[in-house]
Amino acid sequence: MSLGQQAFGGSPLYRWMLRRMWGVEHAFERTRASGRAEDDTRIRIFVVLAFFAMGFIALGVGATRAALFSDAGKGDAGAAATGMARADLVDRNGELLAVDLLHYGLYVDPREIWDLSETRRALGAALPEVPAERLERALRANRRTFLAGGLTPDVRSRINDLGLPGVSFEPESKRVYPLNTTAAHLIGFTDSGGEGLAGAELAFNEDVRSGAASAAAVPLSIDLRIQAALEDELGKAAAAFQPKGAVGIVTNVHTGEVLGMASWPTYDPNRPGESSPDARLDRAASSVFEMGSVFKAFTMAIGLDAGVATPQSTFDARTPLQIGYRTIHDYHATHEVLTLVEVFQHSSNIGTARLAVAIGPERLQRYFDALGLTRPAKVELLESARPLTPKIWNEDAIASTSFGHGIDVSPLALARAYGALLNGGYLLPLTIHRLEPGARVTGPRVISDKTSLEVLQLMRANVTGGSGKSANVVGLNVGGKTGTGEKYDPAIRGYSHTRQVSSFAAAFPTDGPPSAPRYFVFILLDEPHADKTGADPTGGIVAAPAVGKVIERIAPFLGVRRRAELVAFDPGPPTPDDAGEER
Amino acid sequence: MSLLARRVRGFRLVDLVALSVLMLLILGVYLAKTVAGRERADIASAERQIQGEKARIRLLQAEVTHLEEPARIEKLSETYLGMAPVSIKHEASPDLLGEIALHPAAPSPKADLPVAIAAAPSAAPSVGAVR
Repeated sequence: MSLGQQAFGGSPLYRWMLRRMWGVEHAFERTRASGRAEDDTRIRIFVVLAFFAMGFIALGVGATRAALFSDAGKGDAGAAATGMARADLVDRNGELLAVDLLHYGLYVDPREIWDLSETRRALGAALPEVPAERLERALRANRRTFLAGGLTPDVRSRINDLGLPGVSFEPESKRVYPLNTTAAHLIGFTDSGGEGLAGAELAFNEDVRSGAASAAAVPLSIDLRIQAALEDELGKAAAAFQPKGAVGIVTNVHTGEVLGMASWPTYDPNRPGESSPDARLDRAASSVFEMGSVFKAFTMAIGLDAGVATPQSTFDARTPLQIGYRTIHDYHATHEVLTLVEVFQHSSNIGTARLAVAIGPERLQRYFDALGLTRPAKVELLESARPLTPKIWNEDAIASTSFGHGIDVSPLALARAYGALLNGGYLLPLTIHRLEPGARVTGPRVISDKTSLEVLQLMRANVTGGSGKSANVVGLNVGGKTGTGEKYDPAIRGYSHTRQVSSFAAAFPTDGPPSAPRYFVFILLDEPHADKTGADPTGGIVAAPAVGKVIERIAPFLGVRRRAELVAFDPGPPTPDDAGEER
Repeated sequence: MSLLARRVRGFRLVDLVALSVLMLLILGVYLAKTVAGRERADIASAERQIQGEKARIRLLQAEVTHLEEPARIEKLSETYLGMAPVSIKHEASPDLLGEIALHPAAPSPKADLPVAIAAAPSAAPSVGAVR
């Protein structure tokens, strides 16, 4: 069997071709046999011509088809993603947060320059930010050299109008943050190669890179209006109390969405290299603080949920409590027997520590674990810091941690844990990615519905008659808890009486069932100083008023309407005694 | 004599037909390429314009976003217009108007609302209280 037969296996096509070839050969043989040699030649010429004609027709058809029906030039070829292209970042309402804009790089080719001194003078004047040595190096090079990048179309046009030979431009993409410092820590920034280095730019790096091809913006969870109000009030508080740093957070407790997140001082992500590391530090995610009495809400919730106490349970706060080697005092001692509600309202360390002892080390640690306080906050931000927790959960440790000493957590971790207290008891992950309306987020149950309602009422009680009066907003049923944690000073190997972390954790509205729309607002000032009134800069003095103002401003954006309050508010002015946190 | 073998002025008809087809093909391809090239240039020009406009739109969007930066707007409105954020006291739903009229300072609690524990419970010690 021939190779051809082996290859084609005697297929009909193969047999047909074989017959045609043999037919042509036999025609030649017949003409030769009949003595008509000229016919033999003609047939051969005809066959060759036929083959050429067929080839030419095929080429013609192909060329015509390619010319008329080619896809070349169709589609959005210009929008094809380049290597460093990134998709836009927008807020939950589609407002632009980060965008790739067309910029230009300027190149100089000294071989084409006619007048070196004129070019030096003109470029020096047009690009004052370029060092003279760099310009000189580019002008003296023996090849085309990159001189400056990130030129806006205006600057490019201005330089182009100079008509300098040897000066050319190449388009390049540049990441721009049009809102400058707004939400800088949450948005983050990228390097010049288009790789995210911080914030959402880093957290969603893959999504943002892959989204560039389809021009699909990546929506973040923040609402720009809420973010702006939060930053404004945080900035005002920082200006008044001159802290070392400050943090503001607003979350939706039912979805875990971060609606606003601010860290002070801030920086401009368009020029991250010009800011200090301290300004770039995202204190909301990557700093941990010993926050003090805001932790009492957790201890209260655990006591109520574990059945150790009820709102009417009483605690002896008449004398300091001795546990191990330390004595626990109240900042403003009442020297009374207090109910659980009063312990919360007066922020009694003694009462809270007694409750913690009754709860027991194992149970308290288990609840703290369940509330996510012993792990980094579950959120997309890679900066999320690991908390500092007691090595041994003994009675001394639980007494301290019950009122927020001896445990350092990030503000985001605190926000997440508070969410579980306020949403009916479910610990949900925080997210900086916008969720679709109606999206259901699930998480493990930590406390019961009933406990959640009781905590809401406790927090409301603290605003109506406790240390958080200045956070109240008429008609919004604000609840909250102040916190003032002294900072550990390595120099004195003890807690400083002058350096503290003052904060206020709030929820609004506190009325309605656990499933009712509810938001968490948190403001923290790190090492605030007394303002012109001279009042001790505790959480009730520095953070609670700021939280109240934030809530008043953002409630309309969240659709929370003013309503009749379950408990009428006593509008007495805040006093230093209101800020009755531990010392 | 077959049609293919017929001669016209010494040339075989089939050769003339083939030559004509060849010329037509060459002309067709030339015209097609020329027209398509012109259209392609137009399309490329339009594409460049679209890309340019898109870039301008994005630039303008970024410019608008920059100019509408909340902190900037707030500073301008406070400085030049004496404006301030709207107080929640200036907002109300129709069903709340009656209560606001009765208690302009603060809406009072409704009589049929449940009593919350926030209303400072009595200090009587309960069973099982921690001391």
